[in-house]
Amino acid sequence: MKIPVIVISGFLGAGKTTFLRRLISSVKKKLAIIMNEFGEVAIDAEVIKGKAVNMIELTGGCVCCSLTGELEYAINEIIEKVKPEYILIETTGIAEPDSLIYNLENIPSVVLDNVITIVDCDGIARFPEIGYTQRVQIESADFILLNKIDLVNEEQLKEVENKVRSINERALIFKTKFCNGNLDYNLFFGYFIDKESVKLNPSEHTEEFESLYFDFEGKVNREEFEKFISNLPRDIYRAKGNVIFKDGKYIFNYVAGRLSYDEFDYNKNRFLFVGKNIKKFENNLKNSIKKILQNE
Amino acid sequence: MSILAHIKKVNDYVWEIPKEFRKDMRVPVRIYASQKLLNEMDEMVFTQAINVSTLPGILRYSYVMPDGHSGYGFPIGGVAATDAETGVISPGGIGFDINCGMRLVLTNLTINDVRPRIKEIVDLLFQRIPAGVGSTGFLKLTTSQFKEVVEQGAKWCVENGYGWEEDLEYIEEKGCIEGADSSKISPKAIQRGIDQVGTLGSGNHYLEVQWVKPENIVDHEAAKKIGIFEDQIVIMYHCGSRGFGHQVATDYLQIFLNVMERKYSIKILDRELACAPFSSKEGQDYFAAMKCGINMSFANRQVILHRVREVFSKVFKTEPEKLGLKVVFDVAHNTAKLEEHVIDGKRMKVLVHRKGATRAFGPNAPGLPQKYMELGQPVIIGGSMETGSYLLLGTQKAMEETFGTTCHGSGRTMSRTKAKKLVRGEDLVKDMEKRGIYVRTVSYSGVAEEAGFAYKNIDEVVDAVAMAGLSKKVVRFIPIGNIKG
Repeated sequence: MKIPVIVISGFLGAGKTTFLRRLISSVKKKLAIIMNEFGEVAIDAEVIKGKAVNMIELTGGCVCCSLTGELEYAINEIIEKVKPEYILIETTGIAEPDSLIYNLENIPSVVLDNVITIVDCDGIARFPEIGYTQRVQIESADFILLNKIDLVNEEQLKEVENKVRSINERALIFKTKFCNGNLDYNLFFGYFIDKESVKLNPSEHTEEFESLYFDFEGKVNREEFEKFISNLPRDIYRAKGNVIFKDGKYIFNYVAGRLSYDEFDYNKNRFLFVGKNIKKFENNLKNSIKKILQNE
Repeated sequence: MSILAHIKKVNDYVWEIPKEFRKDMRVPVRIYASQKLLNEMDEMVFTQAINVSTLPGILRYSYVMPDGHSGYGFPIGGVAATDAETGVISPGGIGFDINCGMRLVLTNLTINDVRPRIKEIVDLLFQRIPAGVGSTGFLKLTTSQFKEVVEQGAKWCVENGYGWEEDLEYIEEKGCIEGADSSKISPKAIQRGIDQVGTLGSGNHYLEVQWVKPENIVDHEAAKKIGIFEDQIVIMYHCGSRGFGHQVATDYLQIFLNVMERKYSIKILDRELACAPFSSKEGQDYFAAMKCGINMSFANRQVILHRVREVFSKVFKTEPEKLGLKVVFDVAHNTAKLEEHVIDGKRMKVLVHRKGATRAFGPNAPGLPQKYMELGQPVIIGGSMETGSYLLLGTQKAMEETFGTTCHGSGRTMSRTKAKKLVRGEDLVKDMEKRGIYVRTVSYSGVAEEAGFAYKNIDEVVDAVAMAGLSKKVVRFIPIGNIKG
């Protein structure tokens, strides 16, 4: 089973560490966080020295890891030692994340789930141009947090959003202050369909988010499925689940316009959609799903 | 309209974006390139060079070398000299891999001696010189020893048995830049660098065993004086200051972002160009810290040389002295250095930022080793892994036109991402082996990133600096063995 990886990118001081702290405290998953060096997330804890990675145990079963070896070895060491449900990688603010993202795609034990880029609104508003490195960070993102909105006025915020949007058309944008914007952090952990996420009840959520779940038998036509996914309403942020094609069974993950598959044995099609006020699409989606079933 | 349309031709290899192009430009932009290389440059490179031209105290021009491509703030292949009294220092103009650079080492072995044993040599080099993102070296240093290393550079290594006294003569700054102050370094930077001396690192860092094919010697006289002969085997490597330099840059970028506007009222367009007055406390602190990065990198390349000598000595069962394992030169790519240059007939102190650019001092320049006084400074140009590399010499013209600076390598034409989509690392390694290059790597996808086609043609880049007169060609090397991170 591949372990999903989330990459967290963003400029110096944008709020990556704050974001990580919030994630750790609000998501009940076993996480392993890889950072260049132990940041402020992990202090006053005993360091466990490994071959390719040093680790610090955090509360709630999470571990914080700093690289001492090649990324692939480090990832495998982490998986072997702590068996995390998710691996989070915090990138350095001065580097372009594209290289890391594609390295991950070549590591067999993991699968890239999504890239979250934290943007410091104040930093963008104060300087007329977005630099090259930050541009690449924004370009690579599936989710963008426009952070520090309290430091800009409404007009500036609009301008920042437009600039960011002009660099990345497909990402989902959230506006946050101290990385907090009534976010449901579970949204970022969409790779596995699990009981917890299927049971998602809108009332337990921050009010904005809703989920829709469908399961059905039969084989799905791959081409039609991909068409269906790529035409999902914009308000659907993620779709995930299991799908059975003629050539095999897969788990799929759709986030911000990017669809990926991985082989996964499950004998039913299960689709879960998450987004903003999406209950209204229930009938449409139901009809569309009927159309993508393969005619035998 | 694109910027390209506004670029004026100065001559076949020099192009200019005039100062009038944008109100805030303090100096024009000068691009050294053939028409073809110019056309291939990303528009972002021009924008970045224009932004650099707005920095306070910039002198003469904001330069782009023929291998220029977009980077953090400055283009990689960007050069800017600022007035030491009134100008700024900018980490984005130096790069994060501080003093990432090249070293070229001779042997008295020939292709016939080495070809039959190349696998043995490369395998042993791969074993002895750690590569990869977080690789750690065999050198176990205490914090106080590490502080000595960053203050003394390669000199520390030689004093501690990692190299020969004469090696120091053939390193820029004699392997130890003065004024490095470890008290300006954060504990975090020390933590990241302490076990990385003697390691290659990842990305485009590599070590190659190369061959002097007889037809590739361009300047026979200069080659002979340097100690290069037909069918000789040489060793070339590219690496830098690892996580240490990265952390130094990160630490000071944050400091600069805080004081730049508030304390010094410097307005810039792109915050990746964060800077501080060179003469300010922050500017001087960064300069002293950055120099620690320079020395860490010289030390790193010195310890690697020690390992290279051990490997060759072991394989050929001969003392390294008898194998002629002498340093030709060691050049830095990512630095800012305080130098004296003549501007409008006036000699003045300037801070030359070279980011992905090589110092190329001409004959009789101060500080050159006696051996190269007549020839000019050796300039080592690394190609991509698959293509060749060059040895050039600095020129008087470079002194007059570009603050004694030339290109550094071949420069990317496409992103790493794109390269990796086009080729699989495993296939590339097999293909290179078929063509007589034996490769050992920690990361196949890393190999794909560095595929030859992802780079500008090295011959075109070197032709451009040679035609522009910034350097003179001596010899081209082709690899027969490679290790990479």
